[in-house]
Amino acid sequence: MSNLGNGSTWPGHIALGANKNFIRQILKNSKTKIIVVAGTNGKTTTSSLISTTLNDNGREVIQNLSGANLLNGIASTLISNSDFKSKLNADFAIFEIDENTLPLIIKEYPPDFIIILNLFRDQLDRYGEVNIIASNWKKAFEQLSERTTLILNADDPQVAYFSKDIKAKTLFFGLNEVNENVKIQASDSDYCPKCGKKLNYTNRVFSHLGNWDCQNCSLKRPNLNINEFSSYPMPGTYNKYNSLASVLLLRQIGIKDKDLQKSFAKFTPVFGRQEIIDYKDKKIQIFLSKNPTSFNQSFKTISELNAKSLLIILNDRVPDGHDISWIWDTELSSIDEFNNILLAGDRVYDMALRLKYELGISNFQSKVKTFEELSTAIDSGVRMVSENETLFILPTYSAMLEVRKILTGKKIL
Amino acid sequence: MSSSKQQTANSKSLTIGWLYPDLMSTYGDRGNIMVIQKRCLWRGIKTEIVNIDQNTSENELKSVNILFGGGAQDREQNLVINDLVKKSGIIKELIENNVPSLFVCGSPQLLGKYYEPSFGKRIEGLGIFDLWSIHPGPENDRLIGNIIAKTSLPGISETKIVGFENHGGRTLLGKNAKPFAIVIKGYGNNGEDRTEGVIYKNAIGSYLHGPLLPKNPEIADWLIKKALEVKYKTPINLEPLDKSVEEKARNTIAKRLNIKL
Repeated sequence: MSNLGNGSTWPGHIALGANKNFIRQILKNSKTKIIVVAGTNGKTTTSSLISTTLNDNGREVIQNLSGANLLNGIASTLISNSDFKSKLNADFAIFEIDENTLPLIIKEYPPDFIIILNLFRDQLDRYGEVNIIASNWKKAFEQLSERTTLILNADDPQVAYFSKDIKAKTLFFGLNEVNENVKIQASDSDYCPKCGKKLNYTNRVFSHLGNWDCQNCSLKRPNLNINEFSSYPMPGTYNKYNSLASVLLLRQIGIKDKDLQKSFAKFTPVFGRQEIIDYKDKKIQIFLSKNPTSFNQSFKTISELNAKSLLIILNDRVPDGHDISWIWDTELSSIDEFNNILLAGDRVYDMALRLKYELGISNFQSKVKTFEELSTAIDSGVRMVSENETLFILPTYSAMLEVRKILTGKKIL
Repeated sequence: MSSSKQQTANSKSLTIGWLYPDLMSTYGDRGNIMVIQKRCLWRGIKTEIVNIDQNTSENELKSVNILFGGGAQDREQNLVINDLVKKSGIIKELIENNVPSLFVCGSPQLLGKYYEPSFGKRIEGLGIFDLWSIHPGPENDRLIGNIIAKTSLPGISETKIVGFENHGGRTLLGKNAKPFAIVIKGYGNNGEDRTEGVIYKNAIGSYLHGPLLPKNPEIADWLIKKALEVKYKTPINLEPLDKSVEEKARNTIAKRLNIKL
């Protein structure tokens, strides 16, 4: 079976088989500017913000399908958007790129812009340790010339450190907001990327993101080129980062702030990312939650939206990662504020155990219901919420695709 | 003073020492701590968690009744060992005095004789466990997947443990070392000799995470019981807790691996 969510990648697979320089040649041959978006969380939303805004402003944009983020996916995107002379007919190509593919695409053809959103612990079984990814990326960035602009999250120490010893131009985004719940959660990079000593944070936004400095080697968060914008298209602190990265890039391209605001105001979320779907006369909102950081941020955002009914779906298939131990790194102390907690997915009972230990036995028994059938879980959830209430769904990646299929009757990928 | 032979656990207390939670907490290790803490709480046993790191005093470390260490990335392992060697004497003493301990993934590597990472210098371990570990390099596959093994812990031997393993390093046991479990399905220490982890006195080393304790409440209770017995110097009887959710979670994996639990 091919990977769920890989879209149609076989044309690219064949093209690369016939000519391994295919990507390099077609990009060299075209005037299209290449924008690459990478990082653990936020790639799809950020790519979509950029492409929507560019489209609204009269630019021709091509984009790889979410999930088609390996080299064969990129090649497929190029094939379906090029003319008979193997030339791309677009002003911009936006590629969201898988962690392991980023160095490969840089080697093929240096992009004009690279956005690095963050580096969190994700699917350790697929990507290996965060530090190894970071060191592979750093080596790739050292090969870039000044014609590439790197747009980096200054609040993420490992990401900010990519700016050291490179020729590429660098720009930084970050947040100056103080997060009230400074409880440290699922932190991956609290240590200085240069000297390895524990970092000091004057404020922490979430996880290892914040205003950091090293008291040992005096490395510190770089100066920010942007730390706020007049309006954000979606709720959630993590979406502020996605938005600021997009603004920084779009300004470079020459899009005016007032035009940015217009596009942001009418932006509709990408599937599964805070997407709202009407189902059986009730509202359902889906928050893709694929690793501890994205889960925590989804959970925090729905708590702020006063959520009372929640369905968590935990799958452990290829796109989700087989290792589900990350659920124990999630911060769920406010889960007892929910009235109805429904659980489903391949690993429903592992999630149930997680909640048993969070809630205690009697609260667990009165609030949590487990389902082996996803459609039964959704139906039950929809029946539980009152007319004006929303059922919030936190699914892993493959679970999100399944949910959408049930709710819309269509397959997206 | 108790007239009955076995005492109940109610109104007793335990101190749980957690080695370097900031540096060694890669794989949901926090889950193991939560399980011990809550299973104590539900039986009326008070717990206190002491983080063991560079700021911990000798007396604090000596007061620990259960010792726990988690996984770490290679870079963090180096930071840990520099401090760990300073504590080596007390940790050895605790383990020799039968203090129950659980070391998962990275920490048994550090408690063994040495660890050879894929890059960089060999790390000399504390030598508490008779084992050594070698990372064969990134071109070799990591040993990843669900695993079922049969534990050899005294008192609960034959119990099948269910977990997930994900390690690049391969561990070999010395001839004096006893494995924590025998692999039924999965890789274990090195993917070859069917041994999983190590046991010395009441100290367990294991590659199993997932984390280990939520789906294996017998192991959690074994650690709690031993800790109370060592601390209070009397046999302890732990009141059983419902394990229906645990059984279902375990069976999900057993069914996939075609094993009867």
